Amino acid sequence: MRVKILLAILCTACLFMTGCGSDSNSDNKDPDSQATIIKLGMITHLNASEKQMEEYLFKVQERSHAKVINHVPVFFDNLNLMQLGIESGKVDVISTYKSVAEYLIANNNKYELVHDDWIKGLADNFCFAVHEDDDALKTDLNKVIKDMEADGSLDKLVKDYIKNVDNGQAPPKVDIPKFDGADKIVVGVTGDLPPLDLILPDNSPAGFNTALLAEIAKRLNRNVEVVQIDSGARAAALVADQIDVIFWAIVPAGDFLDKNIDKPDGIALSEPYFQDEIAHIKLKN
Amino acid sequence: MDFTDLLYKIFLKDGGWLTILNGLWVTVQISALSLLLGTVFGSLLCFFRLGKIKPLKVAAQVYISIIRGSPVLMLLMLLFYGVFARQGLSPIVVAVITFSMHTAAHVAELLRSALMALDKGQVEAARTLGFSKWQAFKLVTFPQLVRIAKPVYQSTVVNLIQWTSVVGYVTITDLTRVINNIASRTMQPMITIIGGMIIYLALSYLVYGIFHWTDRRRTQ
Repeated sequence: MRVKILLAILCTACLFMTGCGSDSNSDNKDPDSQATIIKLGMITHLNASEKQMEEYLFKVQERSHAKVINHVPVFFDNLNLMQLGIESGKVDVISTYKSVAEYLIANNNKYELVHDDWIKGLADNFCFAVHEDDDALKTDLNKVIKDMEADGSLDKLVKDYIKNVDNGQAPPKVDIPKFDGADKIVVGVTGDLPPLDLILPDNSPAGFNTALLAEIAKRLNRNVEVVQIDSGARAAALVADQIDVIFWAIVPAGDFLDKNIDKPDGIALSEPYFQDEIAHIKLKN
Repeated sequence: MDFTDLLYKIFLKDGGWLTILNGLWVTVQISALSLLLGTVFGSLLCFFRLGKIKPLKVAAQVYISIIRGSPVLMLLMLLFYGVFARQGLSPIVVAVITFSMHTAAHVAELLRSALMALDKGQVEAARTLGFSKWQAFKLVTFPQLVRIAKPVYQSTVVNLIQWTSVVGYVTITDLTRVINNIASRTMQPMITIIGGMIIYLALSYLVYGIFHWTDRRRTQ
């Protein structure tokens, strides 16, 4: 008798697991769009679920009059994990920035760019995030960004550390100036988004963001200490006052998506200092 | 680029191997200090847990259940970004405190289970023969306790080394962090992670080797 009951429970469990329910991705979509499903690896957004991002991607495709293909976002903590995701078949395409995609393809010939028209024009702004009470630091950073835009030094950094970097090579080493007795700004970097942010073989931080920090140190006459931190702990470190500044990306196009889609509570964002296009990459056939 | 060139680029080029060694040294330092402090604190906890003073016994029980039931990463972040956020302690000190606390809870339980496995009659016999409490512990209980607890303790040491791989969350550049940095820079995560795993495996087998060596010395 007990064996029969156990078998009945097992059969019921199997029925549930094999899927009596509806597919969560199939509601309110054009039937044509269901024909192809592309699993898209993305960096985790703090204030949006994968489902919300799926709807956002759907609307962007509709707006661009492209053939709507159902992109199902899968969130990852960093680019490394996205690469592992695509190499293991968990996702079909990964979403990153143009500069990062070019660096990746130059260093790993298994990848190629996806030429989708509908992502043209999509871009993220990069800015600094500071503690929301730290108005003075935010003002200082905004002033430096404005000054650097005005005198062309920001564009020069973009050329030197992103555009003119030899195909896939690490950007030049950066020396951050030191000032005796000056105040210190502690900046958290992840080192996982080359050529914007990476760690050289000698363990020193490098890339466009670090070059920008060196310029900020010079202009503010303050010491900048760069510490490396896991991307998942950046916001916690900032809110807990363990660090003063982190790098952040925000979404500029606000038609369908909240601009604070990736902004945690308790932090304030500076003016953007760089914009990069969204690029999709996939494994070569 | 052939495979040898790729390995050279990932692990050796521009002194990258030195950075890996530095990361490994950080991992070893945190693990060794946490093991030492965790073992001392764990022994004390076990003493309280098995003792007759009720408040200490309850406190030890509560501590062990909370710490053993909590993920070590949560504990690390809670201490670094919460409890010690304003104390100015270095991240390595907070990491050693966290892993010592975690190890202590596990050591306390493994010592308790080893003590419970001992034959109490032997201690009673020793006491009857005129051994003091200390002599009975040192000459009868302790050697057997070590023998019974050793295999589980060895696993705890290896687990501890692996637990430390989350210290990147509190701004420490350990072996895992260095491996992740290399993977990001070279855009070759799979090969780099396999390389990192081999280093962790070598470290674990070094621990097994040391325990095996002490076993052989004892039996000779």
